[in-house]
Amino acid sequence: MKKNSNALGISNLKKFILKPEFSIVIMLVIMLVIAAVLQKNFFEIKSVVRNINAYAPLILLTMGQAVVIISGGLDLSAGTSLSLLTCVLATVMKRNDPVTGIYAILITFAVAVFIGVINGIGIGYLRIPPVIASFATSFIWLGVALFLRPTPGGESVGWFKSFYNISDVAGVPVFLKTFGTFVPPALILVICGCIVWFIMSKTRTGRYIYAVGSNSDSAYMSGINTAKAQMVACIINAFFIFLAALFFVGQNQSGDARLGDPLTLRAIAAAVVGGIALSGGRGSVYFALIGALILSLVSKIIFFANIPNAYQTLVSGVIVIIAIAGSMIYTFYSKRTLLKGEKKIT
Amino acid sequence: MNSSISRKNSTTYKIYDRYKKLIIAFLLIIFLFVLGEIIVSNFLSLGQILLTIKLASFIALFGLCQMVVIASGNSSLDLSVGYTATMTAVFTASIMDGKNENLWMAVLIAIGLGVAVGFVNGVLTSYFRLPALVVTLAMANILQGIINVYTAGRNITGKPSPILRIMAAKSTSIFPNILFILIIGATIVMIILYKTKWGLMLFGVGSNETTAYLSGVNVKLVRCIAFIIGGVIASLIGLLLIGNMGIAFKDMGSNYVLPSIAAVVIGGVSLSGGDGNYIGVILGAIFLQTLSNLLVALGWGDAGKWLGYGTLLFILLIIYVGNRRNR
Repeated sequence: MKKNSNALGISNLKKFILKPEFSIVIMLVIMLVIAAVLQKNFFEIKSVVRNINAYAPLILLTMGQAVVIISGGLDLSAGTSLSLLTCVLATVMKRNDPVTGIYAILITFAVAVFIGVINGIGIGYLRIPPVIASFATSFIWLGVALFLRPTPGGESVGWFKSFYNISDVAGVPVFLKTFGTFVPPALILVICGCIVWFIMSKTRTGRYIYAVGSNSDSAYMSGINTAKAQMVACIINAFFIFLAALFFVGQNQSGDARLGDPLTLRAIAAAVVGGIALSGGRGSVYFALIGALILSLVSKIIFFANIPNAYQTLVSGVIVIIAIAGSMIYTFYSKRTLLKGEKKIT
Repeated sequence: MNSSISRKNSTTYKIYDRYKKLIIAFLLIIFLFVLGEIIVSNFLSLGQILLTIKLASFIALFGLCQMVVIASGNSSLDLSVGYTATMTAVFTASIMDGKNENLWMAVLIAIGLGVAVGFVNGVLTSYFRLPALVVTLAMANILQGIINVYTAGRNITGKPSPILRIMAAKSTSIFPNILFILIIGATIVMIILYKTKWGLMLFGVGSNETTAYLSGVNVKLVRCIAFIIGGVIASLIGLLLIGNMGIAFKDMGSNYVLPSIAAVVIGGVSLSGGDGNYIGVILGAIFLQTLSNLLVALGWGDAGKWLGYGTLLFILLIIYVGNRRNR
């Protein structure tokens, strides 16, 4: 009897350790420790703010990508749609007319919704395989972006800098400036995204997104409008990309048609590291955020290892493959061990 | 009712049904040429057509790698073909150094690189069950990184051997030589795909992997081999590319990835795997090149090209893939 309960306790512990969430948090802690050891002032407010600014775009894109992957899709057009949105922002705005900034935000938001709707129609209603559909649309967005901005450039109103650094903007009250040094705007954007997803995940459609991702056919049989759920997922993704575009234009004050290209793959990899199953239906968007943090910290650690600039693309590609393959193998083995353990107990 | 059944069974209808997509592709090409002749004068001449075919040959050859990979099913695509070709071109340029006697070395290196890239792609997708698009996209990134590292401290030196120049860039009388290579390649591939056991196995795996597995086919191995073949062909195209351009540079192959996939879709090859008609792919490549010529003649440049390719691919996906999967 005693032996039995002991075995149960160990297997419970094992179960807990083998949960993907546990390993992700442990990985984050390890990365934080390594980064803190390498960089002396890692936990000072200044460098924390700088790091949040550096990681925010990837975090936003990863969370958006995670929603699409959970709904059973995959968005290869995330990077080019980000570029397109920055180009739209930089084209609509006129430097000397602060009002154009508001127009630009409204128009860009409409474009973002349009991007989501088109991707959603292709994936959800017309049932084209998501990867190929978004691969095709990615070149449409690239073409439009190149039409607007053949070379990086464009104008931006002064107050748009507040999306990157509030204290850069002229004529801002002092208390807002001090607020900005502690809470960077990038963090507010990420929290914005989190709130939107939190509200969405509590609604019926939010639950449908998971159902469609895990088994589209049985979701359809249960009377769920699968196409609509996938379209909503695509629109949420486009909203996250919109937030990232605001950040980039705030930072660079210009639009760039090639800005987002490397981010697509990194966002997918970060989502996978965060425990989102590429087969859909499993994983949490908040853990995708942690996945993006882990991937960014890995790049930071590599940066500290003094690797020449030419190796950057190579290293990031290798990391992506290792991360995806590693997490696949990990889920495979942990699932098998869990099944074995359950069999023994019963 | 009766008449419709008899109409569907008639020979003409069967032939029409079988070659429907080829006919559509062919009509699209003619439409573009007529449109070009109306908008831009001097569009429809023999020289122009032959030039279009020459440029389209490279898209068609890349489409060949893509077709073999797509035929293996499981919605595989190979996005790393462009950088595989670029890497071969960059690496072999200095080895050939403009001499014919070094060509065999270059060919061996090309095959080696192609096998290596294809093997990694194939193992990760078929044995580790990772999505092919993510794997090959990451592979493209890695190859790009390798090229960046290789070219970081030095210039890319070297010239292609004269034989490659003759094969890829020159013409016999009016016909470009690359056309003959394309015809020979197409014949070999068609024979392998339709007349050998391996081709049958490839199509079997692509159309229904469970049936293929139950009939004793090693599904994973066949898929892996499909990726290896794709990699080797892409790598050999790298040699032809450097032969055509005369020099190697960093991004010479990456612009061919989307057109190669679009050509396969226009050619009527099902993206879910299990079939493949290379003639259609060639027609698709010619169509894309004509479209790109037309857009350049209109002065729309790069933006118009990508926009046109993307929109076209999306529309064709809706027509060919979408309606078949209706609930």
